Amino acid sequence: MLKTCSLFQRDLVYLQVSKPVLFNIRTVYERDYRRPGQAPDTRWPWEKIHFDFAKGLKGVKKHFGLLKAEFMERWKGPEGRPLEVHMLEQTRVLWEFRGPKTLDQWVVSSDREIGGRSEAYVKLGRNNSTCMLYGSLCSNVPQDGETRYSGYCAMRSKQPLASFDRKKHFDWSNFNTLYLRIRGDGRPWMINISAETYFSHQRNDMYSYFLFTQGGPYWQDVKIPFSKFFLSSRGRIQDDQHPLWLDKVNTIGFTLGDKADGPFQLEIDFIAACNDRAHTEEFAYELYERNPKGQKRLSSGTS
Amino acid sequence: MSRVRPITNRVKSSTRKHKYEHQATVLRWFHSSSAICKSKSDNTHFQEILKHQTEKKPKSLVTHDELFERAAKDAKSKASFNRVLETFNKRDIRRRGHVEFIYAALKKMPEFGVERDITVYNKLLDVFPKEVFVPRNYIQRMFNHYPRQQECGVQVLEQMENYGIMPNVETKVLLVQIFGEKSHPIRKYQRIMYWFPKFRNLNPFPVPHQLPEDPVDLARFSLSRIANDLDAKITVYQLPSSHITEAGEEITHPYIVGIQSPDQCSLLAKHNPNKPVFVEGPFPLWLRKTCVHYYVLRADPVPPEEQIKEELDPEMVGPEQSFFYPQYIDLDLQRDLGDDDDFDVDDVVEGAVYAMCMTEQADQATLAQWISGLQENNPILGKVPTVFRLESGFKELQKVEDIRHDSRQDPHPEGEEEHAIDKEVLHSQGMKQ
Repeated sequence: MLKTCSLFQRDLVYLQVSKPVLFNIRTVYERDYRRPGQAPDTRWPWEKIHFDFAKGLKGVKKHFGLLKAEFMERWKGPEGRPLEVHMLEQTRVLWEFRGPKTLDQWVVSSDREIGGRSEAYVKLGRNNSTCMLYGSLCSNVPQDGETRYSGYCAMRSKQPLASFDRKKHFDWSNFNTLYLRIRGDGRPWMINISAETYFSHQRNDMYSYFLFTQGGPYWQDVKIPFSKFFLSSRGRIQDDQHPLWLDKVNTIGFTLGDKADGPFQLEIDFIAACNDRAHTEEFAYELYERNPKGQKRLSSGTS
Repeated sequence: MSRVRPITNRVKSSTRKHKYEHQATVLRWFHSSSAICKSKSDNTHFQEILKHQTEKKPKSLVTHDELFERAAKDAKSKASFNRVLETFNKRDIRRRGHVEFIYAALKKMPEFGVERDITVYNKLLDVFPKEVFVPRNYIQRMFNHYPRQQECGVQVLEQMENYGIMPNVETKVLLVQIFGEKSHPIRKYQRIMYWFPKFRNLNPFPVPHQLPEDPVDLARFSLSRIANDLDAKITVYQLPSSHITEAGEEITHPYIVGIQSPDQCSLLAKHNPNKPVFVEGPFPLWLRKTCVHYYVLRADPVPPEEQIKEELDPEMVGPEQSFFYPQYIDLDLQRDLGDDDDFDVDDVVEGAVYAMCMTEQADQATLAQWISGLQENNPILGKVPTVFRLESGFKELQKVEDIRHDSRQDPHPEGEEEHAIDKEVLHSQGMKQ
């Protein structure tokens, strides 16, 4: 069933001309995570709007500026870059950490949100040229009667937004490999990529893969083919796997949850995508249909 | 069999409550297995349990908690855990309350140290009565047959998954016997068996489950892991020992294990003797759930104006070099934009690492001992001033508020111990003479 949905989705995504607006009715009635014991937010949607004239002016200025930039970059080429670069580039540095402003594109979270006691912070490294993610992990489960597992720290990139808060996506379809330069402390991490989906029930879909760090004073170059990323939803690996579609990638994130209580640190130099010509695999996991329909079961089942 | 249960329940909830009081023990005897009556010792044990239950209602919200608590009194081991399971199995042929019992057992498993033991999990699954929950017709199969029991079975498998234990054939046979071919626990089992082998050997830096007990061996293992160089040589500068002086004080010598690769050695030989080298640390390294700390001997990055351009060996450039393995090629091939595989990013400038070590005592005297040991192979260390930049607060993670406070005010908080430079330089010089 999921499979057919996604077949439809492919057609619909390509047919769709206008980009979806971030503030739509979906965000109004679909609740996010609510902590057990917390009173539900019963306010009406219009009660959450804080009207502020200064903020509005600022918003108008920002959004029209963005619109102008968007309009002007078309003249240079796709995505504001010359056409030959767009067509011939083999590598692209997606995120580099070379100043305090680059950290604004990231959100750090930990299990504080669900009542846990982990801490995670991000700062610039020693020469203000790397991103240092540090903190401490604590896998004590909050005693609210519902939560069963705890102990994670995560960093996630912000959803890029175009003018008037429309979603913008990364288009990595030229590349087939994710390239990272990191320095960890021996803990295993997980890289999560979330791509744009059409149906709202797929909004928790994430494509994940492991990031093993070596530890030690040396930098570590990690190459992960996008074909290795497996589909999971709400933390559960799905039976129906699909390759990650790279034309509309929303965010990338790093998660730590290895149940080893104590301090951790991960230093990231840059995150890039590259085209590894030696890698031809399209998807690392089986895609065959599990219970083929045309085939009758040979043994008439009594069991 | 299972149809009997609602009837007895109705007896309980019926209006004849006064009779129930009287019947309680009789009913229990009536429904208990005949095996209990056969063996004498078990019988007494069973009566003990009965007495225990009637005497004292358990205060814990977790049912069957008291069984484990009593077993934990003698020894928390695999044998006592198995004994609890056997006691429960012998209590009642219908295994009444087994779902609650299994949940309680799952919770107690880490306490008894059996959370990574597949045989114990199989034994736990064995508590489920067989063939009762297997759907018998398509209607039952269509709906969630015995949902509580299936959930419990899935929970057992999930705990196995969380501890990274692969189910075996026995698990599968048990699950098929208990829940049937296409039940949720079997699906879970199939998922585990599909994904676990795929991810099992993924880690390029594997760590064994059982780390070496000896701290020196552990230091060897972790140093060779972080050095990432097969040529690197591990030297044990000092073995752990303790002796008692004449004054009666016990002096312990901590172990010092260092590693240095030939590349690091030649880098250190080229170090400018006027610039200091730094001993930094402790830096954490995690090996599964244990954290070890290491120290690094490094230099500050060389500023670009002082960098000496390496002169190429003329023999290497000329026609004398090997044709098949040329050391240096200067071919000006026409490279297209599409052939450019470099990343457009500035390199992070960092000083070279000259050596690494691990020790159990994080004080300067121990580390100075390491430096003097290093000096045997690297005579340049005798001329170079050594500065110790030790972060004292790393062992127990600094209050994070403090770190944030520091980083806001001072981008280089590691300079905190630099006041010790002069003294320490003298100290290391003194060590060398």
